[in-house]
Amino acid sequence: MTTRITGADAVVIALALILLPYLYLTYWGGAATQGEQARILRGGQQIALVSLHEHRHLSIAGVLGPSLLEIKDGKIRFIDSPCRNKQCVHSGWVSLGGEFAACLPNRISVQVVGREPRFDSINF
Amino acid sequence: MPIFLQTTREDQLIAWLTALAITIHIAESALPSPLPGIKPGLANVITVAVLLRYGWRMAAWVSLLRVLVGSLLLGTFLSPTFILSLAGAVCSLVTLGAAYAISNRLPGRGLGALGYSVLAAMAHMAGQFWSAYLLFIPHPGLLHLLPVLMTAAVMFGLVSGMIANTMLMRMPGDGRNLPP
Repeated sequence: MTTRITGADAVVIALALILLPYLYLTYWGGAATQGEQARILRGGQQIALVSLHEHRHLSIAGVLGPSLLEIKDGKIRFIDSPCRNKQCVHSGWVSLGGEFAACLPNRISVQVVGREPRFDSINF
Repeated sequence: MPIFLQTTREDQLIAWLTALAITIHIAESALPSPLPGIKPGLANVITVAVLLRYGWRMAAWVSLLRVLVGSLLLGTFLSPTFILSLAGAVCSLVTLGAAYAISNRLPGRGLGALGYSVLAAMAHMAGQFWSAYLLFIPHPGLLHLLPVLMTAAVMFGLVSGMIANTMLMRMPGDGRNLPP
């Protein structure tokens, strides 16, 4: 059994096969860069943007009470939070751009902000 | 008073082909899916075959009726599933229409089943993805799924294209005329 393929078909398939690596590079590439800053959110609204390059402890007031955060060596974590399951504490250190830790009962979340996407030969 | 509808041969043909597409659509909905949003989309075979054989207008009828009746039979009419399905079908039809218009102006044979099928599958996925992103889950994390979903679309588009090719080769007639 033969499959009929025309020149125009070949062009379309080639373009599709070029598009796929481009999509992977755009949406997957650079996702794992080391974060520079962390965004602290309360109920979805940003309340602070902190650098990850200093060693410090933070106390953020949430709905239930204060959540304790620790920043060290470019990483950030929840030390304690007035919630029941301590999911936030168990998620441990987060450090890569886009990584997220949240204490939903207390409405406090932390999102690591990565570097600006670098320019390369693909995007101009 | 009895109502009598005068149907043309074209109407009947649309009904036959739509019934075929609906059957495939429903059979496919029973298959388990590895990831939400990924399914073979074999009803695409009928849309592409109809496009090549009878033109864009017929393909649009068959595709949109299939989405409507398929959702009524599966009980998903006006649900998010239906909206995503419709968005995919509309996006796919618009792309096919543009490709059909360009292809008919090309010298030589223009696009065949493979090219149309890959285009339709990718447009369907893109339409579905962006409506899901805009309407239901506007979270940047969803974008990480896009490469995987598009890879699946290209693969399944190629498979449907081959099936449509075989189907067209086995269909009687010279191609452009309605069968008696």
